[in-house]
Amino acid sequence: MIELGQLYILIRYILIDFAISMIVTLSLNFELGIAAIAQFGRVLAVEIGAYVAGGLTGRILAYTIPELRQYSGAEYSNHLINFKLVDTINRTLLEHNALLSIGILILTLALAAIIGGIVGWLTSYPAIRLKEAYLGITLLAFGDVVMLIAQNYDPIVGATQGVSVPDPFRWARPYSFEAALIIALILAGLTFIFFEMLVRSPFGRALKAMRDDEVAAKVYGKDIVKLRTYALIIGSAFAAMAGAYYTMYIGSCKAFTYTRLTWTFWPWAFMMLGGTGNNVGIAVGVLIFVIVRTIIINYKTYLEPFVPFDPIWLEPMFVGVVIILLSVFRPQGLIPEKPAFTIKKRRIRSIIEIMRKQAS
Amino acid sequence: MIEPSLVYKALAYSSNIALMAAGITMIYMSTETFNFAHASKVSWGMYFVYTFYNFFGGHPYIYVPVAAILTGLIGVAMYLTFNRYLLKRGAGMITLMMSTLGADLILLALLNILADYLSRVHKLYSRQIRMEIYDFTVAGIPFSTLIALIIVVTLTASIHLFLTKTKFGIAMRATIENPNLAGILGINPELVYLTSWFIGGALAGLGGALLVFIMAGYPVIGQYLIVTMFAGSIVGGLYSIYGSLLGGFLVGLSEYLGIWWLSTLFGGKMLAYRQVIPLVAMVVALLFFPQGLGGIKWGKVAKVVRGERS
Repeated sequence: MIELGQLYILIRYILIDFAISMIVTLSLNFELGIAAIAQFGRVLAVEIGAYVAGGLTGRILAYTIPELRQYSGAEYSNHLINFKLVDTINRTLLEHNALLSIGILILTLALAAIIGGIVGWLTSYPAIRLKEAYLGITLLAFGDVVMLIAQNYDPIVGATQGVSVPDPFRWARPYSFEAALIIALILAGLTFIFFEMLVRSPFGRALKAMRDDEVAAKVYGKDIVKLRTYALIIGSAFAAMAGAYYTMYIGSCKAFTYTRLTWTFWPWAFMMLGGTGNNVGIAVGVLIFVIVRTIIINYKTYLEPFVPFDPIWLEPMFVGVVIILLSVFRPQGLIPEKPAFTIKKRRIRSIIEIMRKQAS
Repeated sequence: MIEPSLVYKALAYSSNIALMAAGITMIYMSTETFNFAHASKVSWGMYFVYTFYNFFGGHPYIYVPVAAILTGLIGVAMYLTFNRYLLKRGAGMITLMMSTLGADLILLALLNILADYLSRVHKLYSRQIRMEIYDFTVAGIPFSTLIALIIVVTLTASIHLFLTKTKFGIAMRATIENPNLAGILGINPELVYLTSWFIGGALAGLGGALLVFIMAGYPVIGQYLIVTMFAGSIVGGLYSIYGSLLGGFLVGLSEYLGIWWLSTLFGGKMLAYRQVIPLVAMVVALLFFPQGLGGIKWGKVAKVVRGERS
C-alpha cells in the first residue's frame, strides 16, 4: 500500500512535469501541427531558455550587488565560485523578498522569451528554404551544436560542472515546491489559452491554410515566408520560457540535461499520442505519458530484484512501442483535430436562420 | 608531424562511416525513410561481436559477418513490422522518420538491457567495451584499417556490378525510379524494399562491428555517430550510393583529422568539439548544395579539367 504522503509527493511531481512538458509540446504542436514546420530541433529553443535562466539572470543579480560585481563576468560560471555566489544572492536578495523573487521570475521568463524568439527567427533561415525531413535534420543539427558548445565552453553555464540557478521560490519555504507547482500550472493554463486563441485568430487560420495547401494560401495573398517566420518565433519563445522555468525549478543548469531525446523526441511522442494539431489532445497525451514515466521511475526499485537489468530502460521501450503503434494504427492521435470555430456554434446557426428568412 | 597510427585509425574510422552512410542512403533511396534506428543498429553490431566473442571464444573478427547478418535481419524485422504498412498507406516522410525513431528507442532499450544482463549475470565490464587489443597487423598495417578499406572498395565494385549487370539489380533501380511502372512490369516492389532494408541494416552492423577494433564502445555510441552518418549521407547527395560512400569517407576523415589539426593549433580542449565538424558539413551541404557529391556531373568536371568547354 502506498501512503497518502507518498501519493501526494508523486502527484506533485506528475503535475509539475505535466505543466512544463505541456508548454513545450504546445509550442511544438503550434509549429508542426498548425504551421507544418518539421521541428526536429525543439531542444534548441528549450536549452537557450535554460541558459538564459542559468547564465544570464544570475549575472544580472550578481552585478546589482556591489561586493559580487567583479564576479559577474566569465568567472560567474566557474563551479568553485558559482555555488557560493548563488547562495549569497539567494540569502541576501531573494529569501525574504517575495515581490523581488516574483519580479526576477517574470524578468527571466521575459528574457528567455525574447532570446528564444530571436533564435526562432534565426532558424527561419533554413525553414523557408528546406522541406520536410531535410529541415528536420538541419534543425536537429542546430540543437546538437548549441548543446555541444555549452557542454564544453565554461563561460556559458559552467560546461560539465553546471551552474546553480538563483531560486525564485525560496520566499515560500517550506512550501516552495508548491509555489513552483502553482505558478507552473498557471503558466501552462495561460499558454493553452493563448494557443487556442491564436489558432482561432486570422493568423492561425492563415497558418492552417498554408499547412493544408501552400499554393492555395499563396493565391489568397498569404505571405508564406512571413507566416513561417512568425510561427517559428512564437513557438521558440514559448519553448524557451519552458526551458527557463524548468531550470529555475530544479535549481541547477547542466548543459547535458538538454538532450534531443528528452526535449525533442519526447514532446514529439506526447504530441503524436494526443493528436497532432489539437491542443486538448496534447494535454491528454502529455498527462498519460507523464503519469507512466513517473510511475516507472518511482516504482522501478520494486521490480529491480526480479529482473537482471535496470527497469529504467522500460521507459524508452514504452515510448518506442507507443510511437510505432500510433504511427501504424492511429496516425491522427487519441483525439483527432476538429475544425475550430471562431464564433460559437449557436451563433453560426442563428446567422444561418436569419439568412434563410431573408432569402424566403 | 602526424603519426602513422593516427592516419590508419582515421582511414578505418572513415571507411566504417562510409559503410553506415551507404546504409542510410540505401534505405532512403528505396523507401524515402530517414532511418534513425541506424544509430542503435551500429551499437548492436558492436555488441554482437562483443557478446559472441565472450560466449563462444575464438577470434573476434570471425563474428563480424555474423553481426552484419543479424543487424540486417533487424532491418528486415523493422520493414515487416511497420515500415511496410506505412509505405502502403502512403504515409508522409515525417511519419516514416518518427516510426524509425520509435524503433530506435526500442533497440536502444534492448541493448541497454543486454548490457545490464552481461554485467550483472556474467560479470562482464559491458558498459564500456574495449577490444582494440584483438586487432593485429598485416605487413605493418593494422588489420582493422586494411579490412575496412578492402570492404569499401569491394562494396563499391560489387554494387556497381549488382545494379548494372544482374536482373534483380536492374529491377531494383526501376523500382526506385518509379514503383508503379515497375509493378506493372511484374517486379515485386516489396521484395526490393525488403532487400534494401536488409542491406542497409547489414551495412550499419558491419560498420559497427569493425569499429569495435579501433575505439571503445558503449550502448549509446550509435546516438553519437548518427550525426556523422547522416552528414556523410547528405553530403553524398542522398540519391547515390557512391556519393554516400565518398561523402561518408570525406566527413569521417575531416572529423578525425580535422579535430586533430585544430587540437594541435588550439590545444587539447578542441577535441570535445569533434562532432561540430560533421554537423557543420551537413548543414552547409543541405543549405548550399543540396544535390551533394552525387549530383556533381563528373563528366563535365573532367572536361573542364582537361580544358575542353562543354
